[in-house]
Amino acid sequence: MMEIAINILIILIKILVILIIALGIGAYLTLVERKVAAHIQRRPGPMVVGWHGLLQPIADGVKLITKEDLFPRYGNRFLYNLALIMALVPAVLVFAVVPFGPTIEIGGREIKPILTDVNVGILLVFGLGSLAVYAIALAGWASNSKYALIGSMRKAGIIISYEVAITFAVMGPLMLAGTLSTFEIVQAQIDQKLWYFWIQPVAFVVYMFSLLAETGRVPFDIQEAEAELVTGFTVEYGGIKFGLFPLVEWYVEVLTLSAIAVVLFFGGWSPINIPFLGFVDPLFFLGPFAPFVWFVLKVALLLLFVLWLHWTLPRYRIDQITAIAWKVMLPLALLNLVITAVIAPLIWR
Amino acid sequence: MVKRVFQRPLNIIERILFIDFIKGLTVTLKQAFRRTITTHYPYEKLTPPKRFRGFLGHKVIDGREPQPAFNEWVERMKIEVRPGHSRCVVCLLCKRACPVPQLFEIEPEKLPNGKRVIGVFNMNLMLCTFCGLCVDACPVDCLFNSDIHETASYSRKDAILDLKALEEIGRDWQRRREKEEDKIWSDDEHRQRLWYENDVSIR
Ligand code: SF4
Ligand code: SF4
Repeated sequence: MMEIAINILIILIKILVILIIALGIGAYLTLVERKVAAHIQRRPGPMVVGWHGLLQPIADGVKLITKEDLFPRYGNRFLYNLALIMALVPAVLVFAVVPFGPTIEIGGREIKPILTDVNVGILLVFGLGSLAVYAIALAGWASNSKYALIGSMRKAGIIISYEVAITFAVMGPLMLAGTLSTFEIVQAQIDQKLWYFWIQPVAFVVYMFSLLAETGRVPFDIQEAEAELVTGFTVEYGGIKFGLFPLVEWYVEVLTLSAIAVVLFFGGWSPINIPFLGFVDPLFFLGPFAPFVWFVLKVALLLLFVLWLHWTLPRYRIDQITAIAWKVMLPLALLNLVITAVIAPLIWR
Repeated sequence: MVKRVFQRPLNIIERILFIDFIKGLTVTLKQAFRRTITTHYPYEKLTPPKRFRGFLGHKVIDGREPQPAFNEWVERMKIEVRPGHSRCVVCLLCKRACPVPQLFEIEPEKLPNGKRVIGVFNMNLMLCTFCGLCVDACPVDCLFNSDIHETASYSRKDAILDLKALEEIGRDWQRRREKEEDKIWSDDEHRQRLWYENDVSIR
């Protein structure tokens, strides 16, 4: 009985920590994004609220919460609100299978820093990722507006194209690791002394393209396309509801997919890898915290890279986007799969 | 017919290695670490160029009026010259030139000695387009556009300038900028001179 209670307590603590990470960091990423964007354009970004705008996300949140909640006439209120939940829940739920570090011991008890180490973790990630398309389609449809509908249709088109490519892209690392559990994929990379990025660069490129497409980042942000669609499917949302959509789409989803990319391609919490030889750890002095720091560091770098891309590239047209997905990315991913299948036995040894 | 502009197709190496992505990324990376060029507006303010067309004002009589035009107009309109007060000779040319003449309210005041001075000069700047035509029309270089541009107010009444406010703006301008060289483009040094010197309060 005691055992069960302690287990439940541990899980509750994990859930709390993950929720704080997902939503808190998600909110603060708005500031990071604004700062990155600003400096790329030689502006300082938010400077007034707090030191260098550090309290800006809180001010934004308070402002959004206190704003009027408008609802479009002739919209469908149930679906309108459902879309929001459908967007938020799957995006946060993905964090359940993100491993933050190796198993640690607290009070004689082995704790894995992962909410549930389900043995189909990656499948869960992409299953939940596909749910996002419903949220966006519903949001566009329920708000009874042309802009929103066009935006959501575009987004649905993109996601359907890139779902296929991303699934085939992750198949390579999965094949090398021989497991679907996120925790064990990292473990396999450590055991094989190999970040899968070194032999799966093609898969990584396809994955990055799909990441940008699924999260609606530049160069695939045509579902927003401020110049033509105002803000796409969020056009009819107001107040905090409007705030939540970009929070989920641009920040939480990018965060989760970056974390998954780190797990799949950059060996999760492992230090810098020299292929087949071992790991070099310049952060060894941090002791047991080093793996967590490594993981956070890698995710942060990947995220900054996505932001950097966002504020550099122009936008593709919808036909170019789907053409890239079906004509370039999918064949590349398939080819990569074949090559991986041939060399996989060498890696397994 | 759509005219196709020549564009060199990417070669295979450029395609595979995303060369043009990388070029763009290096540009933004370089810019990201350079100094920002923002003026932190409510805390720092740039000085507008001298020809900037902001709120209007009346220059006052200080011995630098355009001659002989000023003396001729004073004589013609029988104006009493009062140093330190508006140069206006009540010719109404500004009202004539203005595309929105209703915004002017100009009345002369008769003095016991038979001469006149400007009595009422109200401008409702809510209607003004800041085109500067009135300034060009004024024969005695009285009406002018100042560099005051922060004109937000809590009440519409505040946008109506009376003679006192106009003279106040004029005195402030003559003190600060009358002697300044007239340049269309202000150089950087000039622009960076921040805007603390303006201490006129219109209200
Ligand atoms: S600036 Fe133009 S609109 Fe304004 S008062 Fe002068 S003439 Fe009229
Ligand atoms: S044109 Fe000049 S002098 Fe004539 S009424 Fe207007 S401000 Fe006065």
